Amino acid sequence: MQFSFMKKQGGSHPEEKKDRTRKIPIVDATIPKVLIFPVSMHIGAPAKPIVEVGDKVKVGQMIAEAGGFISANIYSSVSGEVIAVEKRPSTGGEIDSIIIKNDYEYIKDEPIVEPGKSAHMTDDEIIETVRKAGIVGMGGATFPTAVKLSPPPGMTIDSFIINGAECEPYSTSDNRVMVEYAEEIVSGINLIRKLFPKIKKVYIGIEDNKPNALKSMREATASYRDVIVQPLKTMYPQGSEKGLIKTMTGREVPPGGLPAEVRCVVMNTSTIRACYRACEFGEPLTDRIVSVSGTPIKEAKNLRVKIGTPIDSLIEDCGGFSEVPGKVLSGGPMMGKPISDLGISIIKGTTAITVLTPAEADEGEEKDCIMCSECLNVCPVSLQPILISDAFDRGNLQKAKELGAMDCIECGNCSFICPSKIPLLDNILAAKAAIKEQEAG
Amino acid sequence: MGPSPHIRSKRTSAWLMGQVLIALVPPLVAATFFFGLQVLVMVAVGIGTAVLSEYAYQRIRYQQVKINDLSACVTGMLIGLSLPVTAPLWTVVIGSMFAIIIVKQLNGGIGKNYFNPAVAARVMLKAFFSPWITNWVLPSAWGVDAVAGATPLEFIGDGAQTVSEQVPKLWDLFLGVNLGGNVGETSKLAILIGMLYLIFRRVIHPKIPILYILTTVVVMGFWSGFNFDFMMTHALTGTLFFAATFMATDYSSGALTPAGKTVFAIGCGFLTAFFRIVFDYPGGVGFAILIMNLLAPFIDGRLMPRIYGHKSRPKTKYDRQGELNR
Repeated sequence: MQFSFMKKQGGSHPEEKKDRTRKIPIVDATIPKVLIFPVSMHIGAPAKPIVEVGDKVKVGQMIAEAGGFISANIYSSVSGEVIAVEKRPSTGGEIDSIIIKNDYEYIKDEPIVEPGKSAHMTDDEIIETVRKAGIVGMGGATFPTAVKLSPPPGMTIDSFIINGAECEPYSTSDNRVMVEYAEEIVSGINLIRKLFPKIKKVYIGIEDNKPNALKSMREATASYRDVIVQPLKTMYPQGSEKGLIKTMTGREVPPGGLPAEVRCVVMNTSTIRACYRACEFGEPLTDRIVSVSGTPIKEAKNLRVKIGTPIDSLIEDCGGFSEVPGKVLSGGPMMGKPISDLGISIIKGTTAITVLTPAEADEGEEKDCIMCSECLNVCPVSLQPILISDAFDRGNLQKAKELGAMDCIECGNCSFICPSKIPLLDNILAAKAAIKEQEAG
Repeated sequence: MGPSPHIRSKRTSAWLMGQVLIALVPPLVAATFFFGLQVLVMVAVGIGTAVLSEYAYQRIRYQQVKINDLSACVTGMLIGLSLPVTAPLWTVVIGSMFAIIIVKQLNGGIGKNYFNPAVAARVMLKAFFSPWITNWVLPSAWGVDAVAGATPLEFIGDGAQTVSEQVPKLWDLFLGVNLGGNVGETSKLAILIGMLYLIFRRVIHPKIPILYILTTVVVMGFWSGFNFDFMMTHALTGTLFFAATFMATDYSSGALTPAGKTVFAIGCGFLTAFFRIVFDYPGGVGFAILIMNLLAPFIDGRLMPRIYGHKSRPKTKYDRQGELNR
């Protein structure tokens, strides 16, 4: 253990609400009869379906291939039959989806690479396997991991940061992965760091409200001198990529830039585990850990979920609702997306399903700004949210831009903290969209 | 189905104002203890006038009535507490009306006023109604034998560098025993309790009162050759403690940016010391805060926080919220 350079960063302290699931071991979710695979479950170009209605598929068979460099393959998580390729609702609106009827046989397809050979893979083979497995950032960002692992030439990586902060309230999936699969994470670290021979330090950042994960990761890394398990102050958004880089290394990613520009690569715990499993066992990404929690959930759980499973199947696994939910979210309450249709499926980036009561989801009545400066105090990138929001309200896009609207990381702290309940983030997002539009045309 | 975030902090503007009212209870209790029940009457008149003025103004202007944000209550209570017990009640009424109508509402209402309404009202009363509100009495608690007494500031201001014999002992200054002055500001102990409450509740930023008081004390230290008694007497005299806790920390009239708050507080402390040294005038705090109120937007404009990943502070012409439109 070594004390790294800790720098003060703005943040807020929403109620953590992790107690219901933090200590509950991961269990398998019920695999439903019908699974839905949206072709766009990652940042970048949608994948192209390579199966047709009537095709028989196996577990781990590719059903859609990457539609570009920044894109990702999609694999079936069950064996069965393709019953439709059509538009279905998703967290990102209506999207082309492949619908597969489960035959409950679980016939496995060939592994994507020969198992047990990960230790002897070349750099190119590792990146190619990660690309082939369809792995994307599983912390929610869903950026294709193979792209992240191939930074532009000339950029040296000296710091490898594993993001186990999990700062969203309610969410405990990363926590359980670190507790239960520490060895696989460490194997993943060893695998990926080979790609960057100049790495001097590996940081595993974990908020200090996860003592079990800290203990587990410390034990798993005890024999590595250059792997630092760093407890982080529990604070939202401690797990933002930019914030974590600054906390760990003191460096700041330049505006619009990549972590590689400040010699860092940041990966989520589940993502690195998926990389290991792809290379070592030839497994494409077909399942993930999802925590399901929130007051209206009868029995909160950490579930191993087949990608493509509709959310209502998970809710059923958790005993259903004990009261009428106000909001069902894909993700946590700070950055999650609201879901209007429980038939929407779990995708690669779904970390959690959070259900709020109507009272918990109440956004309050908007009042006049009292200039309390709380939004400035909690902004992790030191913006002045109220001024950007105000500039946008007055139609002054130039001003909003000068005040740094485009630097907003959309964490939502400003809207959360505002005592006058001003929808600051809504306004900043609208300003960003308007600025982008203006610049494009 | 709005966008994220989907939860909101439980703190509301009215809650914050309520916290300030709670923090004003210890000074209120101390003032009532030292000066009698008249204090409660003054505060009641202050709050009543402030709230009624705001209500009337908003009704007359066909605006939404916003008295339930409790901000007018805070202003009224501050005015009631920042006058001497001998002040006629009509001065409380005039002060509260001035604060709410002229200083607050005519500048756009809550969050838009440049000047702290209570401070501005206090300074206005001092300027135009001085004979009625500077009749200092020593506290005689519940009796009627009030003795006319000077505020200690008159002995240590105006070029003085040492503490004269007539000034009460530090401990008495701290507790507020046998001290003349405006009712709310006599007991520094009671104010300190209120200040710590607001800091603990994260309603005010601790650096504002601390830097304000500290700066005044340090400047006084340089002025007096670090005469400890002199420095401490200044810290504990007059309205410094009260204003540093409840007035310099006002959101709307203070600085918005973190660095701006620092400069604002130090500026208040420096100006307070300056006025006290140069003038024989127990009112330096009010002027100091008003001047810094006026400067706050310019300070903020030059000290906008550097955004993550950027090399310098944002380069934009500063127009504080609402400033252009009004």
